[in-house]
Formats: sequence, structure tokens, C-alpha cells
Amino acid sequence: MSIKNEVKRNYGPALKLAIISMILCGLVFPLAVTGFAQVLLRDQANGSVAHLSGNNGRAVGSYLIAQNFSQPFFFHSRNVTLSASGVDPDITVEDALFQTQRISLVTNITQSELYSLVSQNVERTLRVFGDPYVNVVRMNLALIQAYQSIYQKLDPALFSQ
Amino acid sequence: MIQPGDFLTLLLILSTAIILGRLLAPHITSVFTSAPSRIDRVLSPIENRIYRLLDVDPTRGMGWREYFLSAMIVNIFQMSLAFTIFVFQNILPLNPQGFPGLNLDLAFMQVISFATNTNLQHYNGEGCTNPPNCYPVSSMLGLSYLSQMTAVQFLQFTSAATGLCVAVAMVRGFISRSQNLGNFYTDFVRSLTRLFFPLCFVAALIFVGLGVPQTIGGYQTVQTVEGTTQTILVGPVASLVSIMQIGTNGGGYYGANSAYPFQNPNPASDIFQILLMLLIPTSLCFVFGQLLGKRREARPIIIGAYALFAIDLLLAFIPRYALGQGIEVRFGGFFSTLWTVVTTAVTTGSVNASLAGMHPLVILSAFMGMLIQSTPGGKGVGLMYMVMYIIITVFIVGLMSGRTPEYLGMKINARDVKIVMVAFLIHPIIILIPTVLAYATGAASAIGVSTSSTGFTRIFYEFTSAASNSGSDFLGTAGNTPFFNISTALVMLIGRFAPIGLLLALAGSMINRKRSTEIGLRTDSITFTIVLVGSILLLVVLTFFPFLALGPVLEFFQKRVNGF
Repeated sequence: MSIKNEVKRNYGPALKLAIISMILCGLVFPLAVTGFAQVLLRDQANGSVAHLSGNNGRAVGSYLIAQNFSQPFFFHSRNVTLSASGVDPDITVEDALFQTQRISLVTNITQSELYSLVSQNVERTLRVFGDPYVNVVRMNLALIQAYQSIYQKLDPALFSQ
Repeated sequence: MIQPGDFLTLLLILSTAIILGRLLAPHITSVFTSAPSRIDRVLSPIENRIYRLLDVDPTRGMGWREYFLSAMIVNIFQMSLAFTIFVFQNILPLNPQGFPGLNLDLAFMQVISFATNTNLQHYNGEGCTNPPNCYPVSSMLGLSYLSQMTAVQFLQFTSAATGLCVAVAMVRGFISRSQNLGNFYTDFVRSLTRLFFPLCFVAALIFVGLGVPQTIGGYQTVQTVEGTTQTILVGPVASLVSIMQIGTNGGGYYGANSAYPFQNPNPASDIFQILLMLLIPTSLCFVFGQLLGKRREARPIIIGAYALFAIDLLLAFIPRYALGQGIEVRFGGFFSTLWTVVTTAVTTGSVNASLAGMHPLVILSAFMGMLIQSTPGGKGVGLMYMVMYIIITVFIVGLMSGRTPEYLGMKINARDVKIVMVAFLIHPIIILIPTVLAYATGAASAIGVSTSSTGFTRIFYEFTSAASNSGSDFLGTAGNTPFFNISTALVMLIGRFAPIGLLLALAGSMINRKRSTEIGLRTDSITFTIVLVGSILLLVVLTFFPFLALGPVLEFFQKRVNGF
């Protein structure tokens, strides 16, 4: 058969296959995943939103995305221009422990209490893979949760809204 | 040097990939041999309905030319549909951020990029240029949810399926007593319904469980703990990540790809993505032997591919890795280096760290993966290239030993050797000429890329990535100029479809070829595997050495003198 005939014979089915595959791959598949995810894993599916003082407080960002912390009584994020994503939410354990000195000075929380709070919030996948690290958003929310009255005084705006 | 604990992690990941690949192989084989299966009861009625809609006979076999033509025509229609979505995303639904439509040259380049399984990205999917606040979202180069789904994810599925189908069609040419290369429509539909949809669905939900968002509800704006306004850039990410890794596509939802925490939240998701990238390319090595009915013939392919992969790894892990600039804390130096090698070895091209911060030897290792293209290479095409290398090696060995070259009992004639040589030479031609042109026309200096070894590496990398349909890149949105959009688009098109067409033509000519029963050169032996690996290294290094010397090699020596 000539090339011309082969093209003639195939362009109809090809166009229909292109449309069908677009509907299946581009709409049915992602929307089906969205449906299941929204029912089964609502929290993660919507961006792991972080709330102040448990789930009742206001939304303050995402556990997975870095935000600016500049006050001396908070753990500071890594300078995010150093990271590939620009929103690296994590710091090394050494960095977190180092920062306890400054936080302790400003808040009068003892450094050993801060040390134990850091060690409670160390993340390590499957306990074997990769170096341990600390999530700054989670760390600061744990700090506020544990020392509510201190942080209420330091930053009165925190619990308003 | 690699630390002992990390070395164990590496071994664990690679052996898991090989075991999973081996376990998946019989299923992939059954998809393409139409062997009866328990899932027929559910899937056959759906597939038959699609065949009726298409008005095709699913059992009608095609010659190589019709198989190739139908794949091409389907691809052209798919690209046209996606192009329309990109250009008109501003007036189409599911665009809660109100992103404008893409420029014509960018849209042209992007549909080719996704349809050729390359996934070079000159846009910025989430449309944020001011992290971490991303408020207001202001980029002109963002994609709407509809574009991410019906243009990006759509083409990621179809390019993966196309690559797989043409690879299987090529293998069919080598099967004794086969009459044709199969039916493209049947192969395409079955690879989606029986392989990609089920695998990706499970993987996507696992990703959501690990923290990857999946919603079409729009970005969220919050007041942070300290009271600044921040936009949380969520979307249908998990479904995209599943196919971008399983399909060795590599194009991310976000500009920073799998370095962005929503696309890759933790080491667990990182390891899972590495496994998914390796899964099907590894599996296909075994599928090759199963389809042929000669399982031993899969040995040089799987061993050869992983031996070359091991050389890449060795090279990349010579320098000391650490948590440096451009690396995410949760991955550290080890996982960032490992990812860079894996993603280029299977020509996926996703990244989990910035390439700019990588040691020149890691970059050199990445180049090796993309220049060889079968370590084990991208979905389907990696296998095709390996067969190409085998025929070249058989020919060289034949010359050296003075015997007629044979593969699988078939005599390899002059026309076969010409075809594979042309297929091999396309790669250097479409990498080296555009690299030179980028400098000669001033296109490189126009975007601020210098002629230093670092600058040269970036341009050389861009075209290597385009030609090998890998897609990791050094230029990013800086490459969004007419010169780079159009040149990379052409390179990707030729790099994808020319070798596919040639190798299908080769397979077509194998049908009904006489097979001798006497044993000639054994191609399933360890000796042959060693010669194969040696020839591949020799061919690739000889071809590209001058360019590698001007890029990463020179950079390595300069930094050795001036300090890293």
C-alpha cells in the first residue's frame, strides 16, 4: 500500500484517539485521583496546611513551605536563596540546636527544655534513610503550643484574628 | 567518597528497582501479547468500546511504515490539542489564578517537549517569582490547572505510551515467524488501560499520602505566623508526579521540579520517585527476552545497562558531597547526587536540587547518561538504543573475527549497519551543531551565558538534554527566547522520531528473514556483554570528548586549581 493510502486510512482513527486519550489522561485520570485524595487524604491533598494551636487556630501556612521568621524568639528558616526551591522548610539539627541559645536568651526558656523540644521534632524518614532534619514551621508551632503564655506576651498579635 | 551507610542505601534502592522491574515484566509482556488475563473481564469491554469508536480492527497487524505513520499522526493531533490549550488557557476554564495564554513559540516548544518525552521547561508552572511569599502571584509564565492536566499530564501519558509501543513493535520484528509489527492503536490503548493508569493511580495516592497536594480548588492565601501574607501554591500535583516519573518524562508541576517540597516532600517520596523512574526502563530489559522467547538474550541488555549506570554512579560519587548551595536540607548531598545520576541515566530529567551547585564530575556523569541513552535509558527508546548498540557491536566483532555478523540467528547485512550508524550519528549531529550555533549567532550571549567552561556546559547541556529527550536543564526560563525555543524544539523532534523511524524500518526488514540454526556469535554471553559495554563507552567518548573537554572536564581542572 502506498504512503498516501496509509495516511488516508489512519488520520480518522488517529484524530479520534487523540481526543479520547486527552479526555482519559488529561481529565478523567487527574479528576479521579483528586476525588479519591479529597475523600481519603484531605489534609495532605490540600497542602498540609498548618494551624496555630492545633486544628482550631487560624491557618498560618503550610508545613511543607518555608515562611519568613525574623523575630529572635522563633527558629529561623535557612536562607532560602541557598536552596533549589526557594521555599526549603527545613534546617539541620545542628542549626536548630545552635538557635536555641538565642531563643533561650529572649524567652527565658531554659536551653535544656528547648533541646528536648528540638529532639521531639527531629524528622527522619524510615529512621534509616538520609540525615535527620528539623521542620521550622512545625518547630515554631510546637514552641508556641508549649509556651503559650510566654509567646502571648512576646507577640500579642499572634492569637488575635 | 560515598559513606558506608549511604552505599547500603544505594544498593538497597538499586536492587529493589531490579526486583520490581523483574516482577513487573511478565505483566508488561502480557499487555503486548494480548495473553488472556483476569482483568480482561473489566477492561476488555472498555477497550473494545474504544476500538469501535476509533473504527479500527484491533487484530489487524501493521507493517513498520504504517505503524510509524499512525504513531506520528496520533502524536501530531495530540500536540495540536495541547497547543490550543496552552495558547488559550486564559479564556478556558480551570484557571483560578488568571494566567495569560502562552506565547506561540513557547507553546510550540512546550508541546514538542512533552510529546517527545523530553520535558524541557522554559515556563514556570506555579507562576511565582518571589518565594517564599509568592504574594501576589505575578508571573506571566504560569500554567492554569487545565493546562497542567490536559496539556502537560496528557502528553506525559501519551509520550510514555508511544515510546513503549514503538519499542515493543521493534522487538516484534526480531521475533521469529512474526508477520508484522502489531497494531499501534491496540498497543497504545492497552498500554494505557493496563499499565499506566493502574500504576499511576496507585502511585498518585501514595504521593498524596506522603504530602503531595491534589486539588483543583485554587491557591490559598494565609497570614503567616509573623503576619506576612503568603500564597500556598496547591494544585493537581500528585497525579502529574506519578506519570512524570513512571513515564520517565520529568517535567514538574513547579519550576523547581522535585526540589519543590510540594512535589517531593521528604526522603520517602524521594526514594519512591527514584524507584518509579527506574521501574519500567529496567522492566523492559526483561520484557525484551520474554517477548523474544529467549530470556538469555535479555542478559547483555540488563547487565550492560546497569554496568554503565554503575560507571556513572562511580564518577558522580568520587567528589565529597555535602549540604551545599542549591541543595534541599531534607535530601542533603547524597540524595541530590543520586537523583542527578538516576534521572539522566533513564533520561527522565527531573531534578531535586539545582544543577548549578553540582560538582563538575556529577555533571559529567549526567552527561554520560544522556549521551549513551540506554543506561537503561528512557521509556522504550532506551531499549531501542541498546539494540542499536548491540548491532553495531556485532558488526565490529564480525569485522574483527572475520565472520559474517549475526544477531538472533539472522545475518546482519550492509543496509542494517547503515541504518544503525545513521541512527547513532543523529545524536552527535543534533547536539554539536546547535551548541556551536548558539554561540555563533550570539543567542547564548544574548541571555547572558558566557564562553567560560561553566557557560559552555550550560548550552551543551541544554541541547544534550533536548536531543536525548531527557529534559533536565541549566537554562530554565532564561531559555525562553525564540532561538532556544525553536532550536530545542527541532532538536527534540529529530532526536525522538528519527531514530524511532529508522529502528522500526530496521525491525520491519527483519520480518521473514532467514534464521540459521547453527550457533554463530553468542550474544547472550558475559564476554559479549563486556565487549558491548566497551564499545558503547568507546563510541560515545570518542564522539563527544572534545565537547566534554571544553565543558565539565575543563571546569573540573579549573576548580581543582582555584578551589571548589
